[in-house]
Amino acid sequence: MPAIINSAPDCVTSGSGSEAARVEDSADFILQANYQDCAGFGTFMPGSTYGDEGTGAETIYMILTWLGIVVTVAVLVAWVLYENRRLIVAATTFGREAPPGGPPPQPGGVGDTQ
Amino acid sequence: MIDFVFAQVETLEEAASAEGQVLDSAILGEQFYFFTVVLMWLIHVGFMSYEAGVVRRKNVMATAMKNILTIAVVTPTFYYIGWWIYNCNQPGLPIGPNSSDFTSAACGSGIPWSDAFGPNLTNNINLVFFLAFLLFSWTTASIMSGALLERVRLSAYLLLASLLGSVVWILDAAWGWSAGGWLTLRFGFHDSIASGVVHGVAGAFTLGVLFNLGPRIGKYTREGLARQFRPQNLHITLMGLMLIFTGFYAFYAACLVIASTTFPGWANIYLSPTTLGSIAMIITFGFAGGFTGGYFASRGDPFWTVSGGLAGVIGVSAGADVYAPTLGYLLAMATAAMVVYAGNWIEKNMRVDDVVGAVAVHGVAGFLGMLWVGVFAAGYPTGLNNVDSSIGGQLIGMATFLPLGFLSGWVASLVLKKLNLLRVPPEVEVIGLDVAEYEPNLYFPEVAVQEEMLVEPDGTPVVAATVLTKSRDEAVS
Repeated sequence: MPAIINSAPDCVTSGSGSEAARVEDSADFILQANYQDCAGFGTFMPGSTYGDEGTGAETIYMILTWLGIVVTVAVLVAWVLYENRRLIVAATTFGREAPPGGPPPQPGGVGDTQ
Repeated sequence: MIDFVFAQVETLEEAASAEGQVLDSAILGEQFYFFTVVLMWLIHVGFMSYEAGVVRRKNVMATAMKNILTIAVVTPTFYYIGWWIYNCNQPGLPIGPNSSDFTSAACGSGIPWSDAFGPNLTNNINLVFFLAFLLFSWTTASIMSGALLERVRLSAYLLLASLLGSVVWILDAAWGWSAGGWLTLRFGFHDSIASGVVHGVAGAFTLGVLFNLGPRIGKYTREGLARQFRPQNLHITLMGLMLIFTGFYAFYAACLVIASTTFPGWANIYLSPTTLGSIAMIITFGFAGGFTGGYFASRGDPFWTVSGGLAGVIGVSAGADVYAPTLGYLLAMATAAMVVYAGNWIEKNMRVDDVVGAVAVHGVAGFLGMLWVGVFAAGYPTGLNNVDSSIGGQLIGMATFLPLGFLSGWVASLVLKKLNLLRVPPEVEVIGLDVAEYEPNLYFPEVAVQEEMLVEPDGTPVVAATVLTKSRDEAVS
């Protein structure tokens, strides 16, 4: 089935069917051949081969990372604005009205007349 | 010929065996840090219970939400900036010779776009080690949380938590809580389980914030005497502290480096040898001494007895990798006793309304912990340069951390205060944050509600409404 977005790095090869990796030193090696040339293989990541970790990102992964940074900052700003608006409304309401004596009626509690 | 073949086979087996051992070691380390992360969640369950129990009923939901949302903001901010700060800023400021002679090898994998931040078959440790530090960051931010209860805005707290949890503490950790930090390399600064790096700095930051935030309405009389607000559920507060203590064992363990195929197998954060058992002994004796010191210094007060246990552990954390149990026990007892007096002094003399005593329990105990190492554990080579721990090195660390923590908290909260974004309006504070911020018909507890009371400085309980309304009107006018 064709992928809508193929986000796997180039070092991961495609091809269905079980095929063990070409390894020489272990009988119980579980790595599949599709992954044998790839150490790092996260979505949109550049992919890296063994012994070459931390090589830095390619463009699309950098964009994804910066998108996360922008969203994080936007969320913090939104939190400030949203709460500020709610508190202004609440302060206006409670400044105008006498504070209620307690919570609403509830079973077994204050105001329960049943 | 046969000998040659056997020799070749043995060489291949040794190579395979060595490779297998390295993989086993990596996976063991991965599991070790993973389980410390899981157990450290208990610290945050504890913080939530502790704080939700100590507030008045009208603020329970707001308090719990604040603790939960700490995770929502500190996680991404620490990922995007905190880990880079730790891994790439250990040389610190170029203030003298040799101060920039170390560039962390981890810097490349510490940036958020590194491929060590995804599934990577050559790096089992990076992500779980990052997560352990992330949990430290949640803890550091949560230390401030309790002090600001019942009047800080949620959004202001979240901004301050991001600053403390993702920038300030991790910067001091880069400098003094890594094998290559400049404080360690040059001065032998030694704070193995983060007395000052986490707790001391968080306490100093919190004090800076409290100076701008001010006390809760009605906390002090016109004469400046402290009233007491009754906690809505002291039992759940004590249970929360016990959960924090449980999680602290995992916190302690996560501060170690594990390398199971290399002697001695365990190292502290400075890559100096220690053992898991030795630090577990010290945390246990720290609790024992801390409870005892807190109990007698507070004359049996439950809150300060249990907080004394926490203070005691914090006081012995810096040297937990080398202390003898008896020394840990005695130092914890002394630390807890001093913290009780400091907490009362901060409340009554400084008139700083610290709801949970965080400045004393974490700040004072944290700085005492750094000092104790200089006095009682000098002479231990620390860091990659193997500079001996000393009173001078500890004092330099303390002199670095105090302004770093206090000033950053004070400045950040001052900016929020000037923008009128630090504190909830007085009307909201008196009616309660839960009524203003959450749906009271849905989220008020389904139990009978008693009239809110407070305790005057002379010990007389009075109905709170009259005092609070009068104080609110004074604050508004």
